[in-house]
Amino acid sequence: MLLIHCPYCDDTLPELEFSYAGEAHIARPADPSKLSDEEWRDFLFIRTNVKGVHAERWRHINGCGRFFNALRDTVSDRFLTTYKAGEARPDTTTLEAAE
Amino acid sequence: MTDFRVKGRGRVNTDKPIKFTFDDQTFQGFEGDTVASALLANGVHLMGRSFKYHRPRGVVTASSEEPNALIGTTRGKGRFEPNTRATIQEIYPGLKTESQNKWPSLKFDLGAINDRLYMLFSAGFYYKTFMWPRSFWDSVYEPIIRKAAGLGKAPTEVDPDIYASRYMHCDVLVVGSGPSGIAAALTAGRAGSKVVLVDENSEMGGTILSEPSVSIDGQSAWDWLEGAMAELDRMPNVRRMTRTTAMGYYHQNMIGLVQKLTDHMGDVPDGAPRERMWRVRAKEVVLAQGAIERPMVFDGNDTPGVMMAGAAQTFLNRFGVLVGKKPVVLTSHDSAWYSAFDMADAGASVVAIVDTRNELPKALQNAAKARGIKTYLGYTATGTKGRLRVSALRVNPVRNGKVGAGHMLFCDAVLVCGGWTPSLHLFSHTKGSLDWDADAKVYLPGHKTEDVHIAGAGRGLWGIAAALDDGTKAGMDAVKSLGGKAGSATYEVAEDRTGTGITQKELPTDRNPGKAKAFVDFQNDVTAKDIRLAVREGMKSIEHVKRYTTNGMATDQGKLSNMNGLTIASDALGKEAPKVGLTTFRPPYTPTTFGAFAGYHKGTHFEVTRCTPIDSWAEENGAEFEPVALWRRAWYFPKAGEDMHKAVARECKATRESLGIFDASTLGKIEVSGPDATEFMNRMYTNPWTKLGVGRARYGLLLGEDGFIRDDGVIGRMRHDLFHVTTTTGGAARVLNMMEDYIQTEWPDLKVWLTSTTEEWATIALNGPNARKVLEPFVEGADISAEAFPHMSVRECTVAGFPSRLFRISFTGELGFEINVPARHGRALWEKLWEVGKKYDICPYGTETMHVLRAEKGFIIVGQDTDGTVTPLDAGIGWAIGKMKSDFVGKRSLDRPDIVAPNRKQLVGLLTEDPKTVLVEGAQIVDNPNQPKPMKMIGHVTSSYWSESLGRSIAMAVVEGGFDRMDDTLHIPAENGAIVKAKVTGTVFYDPAGDRLKVE
Amino acid sequence: MNAPVTSFDAVSVSVLPPVARFNLRIAPADLATVSKAFGLTLPTKIGQGEQNGDRAAYCIGPDEWLLHAAEADQQAIVAAFNAVREKTPHSLVVISDRELTISVTGPAALDLLSVACPLDLSRMANGSAKRTVFDYAQVVLIRDGEDAFRIEVWRSFFPHVHGLLEIAARELAIGL
Repeated sequence: MLLIHCPYCDDTLPELEFSYAGEAHIARPADPSKLSDEEWRDFLFIRTNVKGVHAERWRHINGCGRFFNALRDTVSDRFLTTYKAGEARPDTTTLEAAE
Repeated sequence: MTDFRVKGRGRVNTDKPIKFTFDDQTFQGFEGDTVASALLANGVHLMGRSFKYHRPRGVVTASSEEPNALIGTTRGKGRFEPNTRATIQEIYPGLKTESQNKWPSLKFDLGAINDRLYMLFSAGFYYKTFMWPRSFWDSVYEPIIRKAAGLGKAPTEVDPDIYASRYMHCDVLVVGSGPSGIAAALTAGRAGSKVVLVDENSEMGGTILSEPSVSIDGQSAWDWLEGAMAELDRMPNVRRMTRTTAMGYYHQNMIGLVQKLTDHMGDVPDGAPRERMWRVRAKEVVLAQGAIERPMVFDGNDTPGVMMAGAAQTFLNRFGVLVGKKPVVLTSHDSAWYSAFDMADAGASVVAIVDTRNELPKALQNAAKARGIKTYLGYTATGTKGRLRVSALRVNPVRNGKVGAGHMLFCDAVLVCGGWTPSLHLFSHTKGSLDWDADAKVYLPGHKTEDVHIAGAGRGLWGIAAALDDGTKAGMDAVKSLGGKAGSATYEVAEDRTGTGITQKELPTDRNPGKAKAFVDFQNDVTAKDIRLAVREGMKSIEHVKRYTTNGMATDQGKLSNMNGLTIASDALGKEAPKVGLTTFRPPYTPTTFGAFAGYHKGTHFEVTRCTPIDSWAEENGAEFEPVALWRRAWYFPKAGEDMHKAVARECKATRESLGIFDASTLGKIEVSGPDATEFMNRMYTNPWTKLGVGRARYGLLLGEDGFIRDDGVIGRMRHDLFHVTTTTGGAARVLNMMEDYIQTEWPDLKVWLTSTTEEWATIALNGPNARKVLEPFVEGADISAEAFPHMSVRECTVAGFPSRLFRISFTGELGFEINVPARHGRALWEKLWEVGKKYDICPYGTETMHVLRAEKGFIIVGQDTDGTVTPLDAGIGWAIGKMKSDFVGKRSLDRPDIVAPNRKQLVGLLTEDPKTVLVEGAQIVDNPNQPKPMKMIGHVTSSYWSESLGRSIAMAVVEGGFDRMDDTLHIPAENGAIVKAKVTGTVFYDPAGDRLKVE
Repeated sequence: MNAPVTSFDAVSVSVLPPVARFNLRIAPADLATVSKAFGLTLPTKIGQGEQNGDRAAYCIGPDEWLLHAAEADQQAIVAAFNAVREKTPHSLVVISDRELTISVTGPAALDLLSVACPLDLSRMANGSAKRTVFDYAQVVLIRDGEDAFRIEVWRSFFPHVHGLLEIAARELAIGL
């Protein structure tokens, strides 16, 4: 069971309070009708599936209820950082250096 | 019976004799004995039969890695447990135990014929033999293997025991209470850290319990141990837990501990849990798990009476038991010499010490000479005599790589030591790397991934002084990592036993090595020959060797066999051990009961069972229940003598003809509130909401962005800025999560908020032509006449004095109302309606009747008639899509090429040719029943019922191009080989014009 | 609901009478207005609680508060919030019947909760509240004192949570 830092509660809490919510930074297009079939397909289905640092969404569903983002290494299962929804993805190189 | 107990030795309480049985024979031991030590005290070595060859086997260790002495224990009715390690199970009055894998008896076993046929059962036997012919697999091979397989016998009764669980948080968790663990706990405890010290044994002390001759700080080791325990117990910040196994090490220093609470008790307190699983989150972990003694691999090394030298020393010093009176010691490590000395000093006639090494410290040789023990240096062992108990060891000199002539050393026990393997299983669970130490030929802890410190023999250190120092250092390091500072401590150790040894492959022999039964894995009967064969047949990685031979796959998880297997495989491959690899250790460290994992989750607490406020009424009135998501819902209300079919037919008829009452409380309810609520609803649901007046309700359809139906429900507009949204029972949490996601992450600018009110309201549905007559007198604050309160309306009012949100809606096709009242009043309102409804023969109905009534009307159930690949158009409810809306969740997908492609599966009605035939839900549909198998399946039945109102069966199905197949006849192959014919129809079977809603 | 009190020397589990309970969702910037309507300054940090007589407010999310009041005050509170809604948009939802409240008190309260609460409760301040899990159920856990907690749990999850607490309380009494 992982410990996850909720950037809204500013507290590190057991994974049981959280639920996973897929890859981060995939915004719903403002006007989907303008998208080609291929663009819409990419939005719906195409994910990076990285081996390494993955930007992903979690929800503190059994806590403050907020969706937030995290950088997690899919190899070690370590969280590098978590950050609020809407914030830009932090620079991975500095975070890894800090590890 | 001979007594092998030594007076004045051991820590068992000789004032408390205890009787127990093994294979129905009564034995006596003492308080503090394990089954193994008590049997050995009675001269019993033979404790089981091996798994594959059914060879007689004796106990080989004194600890939890025991591969042979696995027994069945009976602790009363329903409390039989197979594969309990006799070395761990403590005895208590009345304990019943039995040996395993034998028939008819332990001493004479017919299954041992496998042993005679062992040439047939070589490595990869299963893979090779049972491949061919394929048709034999089901009928011949599998049944035979199933009969022969299995370790011990499975319990047949439900486990009546109670299992508990707790979470725990601490600063420093110390695993293992040998000298290094104790030193670490003392160090961190004195520094004020919150420390937990655990040990799998019934008593703390580890090695110290087996080495009383050592002195620490001028005291005997055992006096020092007592003092250390007392000091730890005085510290309020330290917790000691015995009989507690750290069974798994998970991410971020979470460790699973299994604490055995009552298995050692004759009188178990009523209601006491048997085991407790602790989920510990430790800021720092100290692993002080010691090292595991390795067997030596030679012909006959599994004969009962051949055992670990260190185990013999433990049985002697901790339990006061001599495992033999005439032992031979066979070793490649100094430690076994001390075992020999202890045995000799306790009165055994040690026949000889046989060491494979040529050079040894003079001190050891002199100590042997002083005790009159013969020594054979540079010798190998090439066989044993005796089947049920060893009677001799054959030894041969090895000179310049040549094995000389052998001779017999007659004995009653052979005590072996092939070196020591640092116990790094838990460290390995963390994916910490293991580095090969080429000199010591062991793996030592390398790169760490967790906040963990390894101390003592786990780091390859040897001797109590080194362990104490290293434990102190680990404790200091842990406290330092916590941001504190711990004082150092030094320990004066005298008579310490340090030493070295070498690691070797199977011992050289002058006989045909192809015929040697030199076991590497005792429990799985894997020999050195099997491992070499695996390599010859192309297995190059230790992972392949493991799976091909099953080496290390037994319940001891290779604790004894992995290193020997690796050494032999690397020799066969001509590669250094690290190039061959090391198999991964995984939790649990030792076999763990399912009960410990399940904890409280059995019986009533197996899973949450959600009940509505009206559930108790349903139970009192004889309802049968069915699970729906986590809920238990009234399924139908059978009267005396009725089966489900009859009850449902009656409930349907009563509702259509007069009045039915239904508990709809499980429906999900969400309060959508805020100035942008309408805009939000427009974006989420397919339907338009802007023009829905306050006080009106509408069917809402929710899609995923992929265009497939996710949920549906009736939604009422309570105010211009407030919607009362209902969802499916199973979809409530999902829909709320999805809505929050959009509000929080896609449209944070919208001023709209959500609150789940599923459980705030109890919801009662009244359906039938007489519904209004019953309800109307109860209603205050609203006119519910047909004109003032048309179909699809909602009012806030009181019903029977309870504040209410009253809907006029219908999921049955009859005049219908849904009354929401605060949950605490649900049952009271139900009973009031029930009383008044009696004059209309009011009938309570359950989910089954609800399903039939809605199917007669062609109303879909999301998740039954849809399966995550069904669009609104596929389901025939395109009318629910707001045509003028520029966007909503999933809209873009409705134009995707796959979604507009022809021949999609579409929801249609099916009427069987024989009206009495009710199709099976899930049945596959084919076009032409005469086509060869496998037939092309063009769809499946999603809903199917007997319709009492129509006097025939009805069904819904998704069928390729279904809308274009109206009136076609399709075929549904049935289980019994028959083919049912059915005609494609629309989905509204009953009252297509909707006249029945228009009740004045 | 009047479930019997399960009481042992070290810990007692009981069911508390109903209160007026509300879920308030509002932009934090607008807190002042509704604090006035409720008659209590709403706390701003997640986890914090404020109490005044029988009114209490707990911040359980960045835009979410749990409010408690005397049952008799429910209608008046709804009216007070209604009066400011047009100018200060928010969502106030009565959830008095959604949850039931279990009280856990006594020197072994922390031990009892540790059977199914994964949190390190030694870090939880008195007077604070937190939405979390208790076994398979979502709950709001309120700490009233060193040895005094309340668990608010959705009505249908109550039998599971309360039953587990009773099982565990008996287990604690055995002392193993």
